[in-house]
Amino acid sequence: MKEKISALMDGELDGKAAAALIDELQRDMRLREHDGEALDAWRTYHLVSDAMRDARPLSAGFRDRVLERLAAEPTVLAPKRPAFEPRKRFAMPAAAAASLAAVGLVGWLALGPQHQATAPQSPAVAQAVVQPILDTKKPVLVPLPTATPDYLLAHQGFSPRISLQGMAPYARTVSAQANEGRK
Amino acid sequence: MVAARALAVVVALSAGCARAQSPEALDWLRKIHDATQRLSYSGTFVYQNGGRSETSKITRYVDSGGDIEKLEVMDGVPREIVRTRDTVRCYLPESKVVKVDRRSAERGFPALLPERVTALAHHYDISLGETRRIAGFDCRAVVLTPKDNLRYGYRLYADSASGMLLKAITFDSAGQEVEQFMFTQLSLGNISRDRVRPRYAAGSWRIEDAAAAPAHLAGWSLNRELPGFRKVTELKRRLESKPVGQVVYSDGLAAVSVFIEPLEGRSVPTGLASMGAIHIYTREVADHRITVVGEAPAVSVQRIADAVEYRRPQ
Repeated sequence: MKEKISALMDGELDGKAAAALIDELQRDMRLREHDGEALDAWRTYHLVSDAMRDARPLSAGFRDRVLERLAAEPTVLAPKRPAFEPRKRFAMPAAAAASLAAVGLVGWLALGPQHQATAPQSPAVAQAVVQPILDTKKPVLVPLPTATPDYLLAHQGFSPRISLQGMAPYARTVSAQANEGRK
Repeated sequence: MVAARALAVVVALSAGCARAQSPEALDWLRKIHDATQRLSYSGTFVYQNGGRSETSKITRYVDSGGDIEKLEVMDGVPREIVRTRDTVRCYLPESKVVKVDRRSAERGFPALLPERVTALAHHYDISLGETRRIAGFDCRAVVLTPKDNLRYGYRLYADSASGMLLKAITFDSAGQEVEQFMFTQLSLGNISRDRVRPRYAAGSWRIEDAAAAPAHLAGWSLNRELPGFRKVTELKRRLESKPVGQVVYSDGLAAVSVFIEPLEGRSVPTGLASMGAIHIYTREVADHRITVVGEAPAVSVQRIADAVEYRRPQ
């Protein structure tokens, strides 16, 4: 399913396969309480790309409000399809996909200027444009907390890496203690 | 322009998602996992991060009753950590302290089970790399390349015959190495139980018991999840003899812990500290010190820290 969704996002699916998948997305969307696999993958991929693209998540219910307004608009893009013409079966889902894409685009455009208004124009920001990072500010660097060995000792036991590597990662705990000793 | 860049990211991402995982590489991961649970061994390894390196000895003894592992650091101040099935003890001979962490809280913790190896493919491209001889063993590389910049990549070298992991390199999204573990000497099998007993007679030492126990930390949550990271456990423990909450998030391979402790009027410097692949981000939320510790890129650790919030339970 995930491969299919990503192929859809890449525009690699042929019309028939794309229509089937978009139908499935719509079905998922109608059963909102239980997100299906297709919609889940669709959202996850967009969320990940949002995160990488430095965009902020939209407010809760944003999508629903936009969809509501879209529904209230007179439908121009997707006239009711005649039931007898099989070729046009794709028209409606494609329009729905276009609407979704439009929602996404509105999101980007709406957020763009805000970002520019709030972000300080520093070299770090300029770099962020080239190499997408998350919308986290450049952190202030502080020394390791004095309790670092204890935090690591407490944390290390939960690292799934132990399943592949035994307790070797605990060496970090020791290393942190050595760091502490050097101060 | 923004849209074009975004589209490029989406396309790159989906291409990554669509790429098939090599079943052979997944088998290798399972083989490493299996060797880690099954083998007794004794060896010397070097841990490196940045310009630092430290040598340690590691000994592992397995019998039907479970396994015991001992890590002794060879450089600098002597100390050792002994881990049994349910307890981790850290012996600090200089201060004559034993730090005890019972692992009851993590019992049943689904570390990385063989059947979960496949799930790793959601976040990593897993492929086979080159063969290389390390510490006398013919090894094969298994490469886990992250699909985003929220986690590190790993290059694991495992003995072709036994699956034992000889070398593990952690690299960032630019492909730069951030830390590595490598055995310089290793012998498999034939370990007696005596070899994993603590070196120290610590009967008279002070015991600091973390008293970790499962807990529900009411009111604390993340207002935004980090993609791929899920909450795996929530507990309370003592840390430097003060009560602390700990919530652990993991993507199946990397883990990030959020520690929550009352500030009691003191203030904490907000910011990031790093040590190899470990990042620690500290900030203050609702008069509590939030310390996020994880073997994940700084951006992930900071983002989890920034998402921590407290809402008074209704």
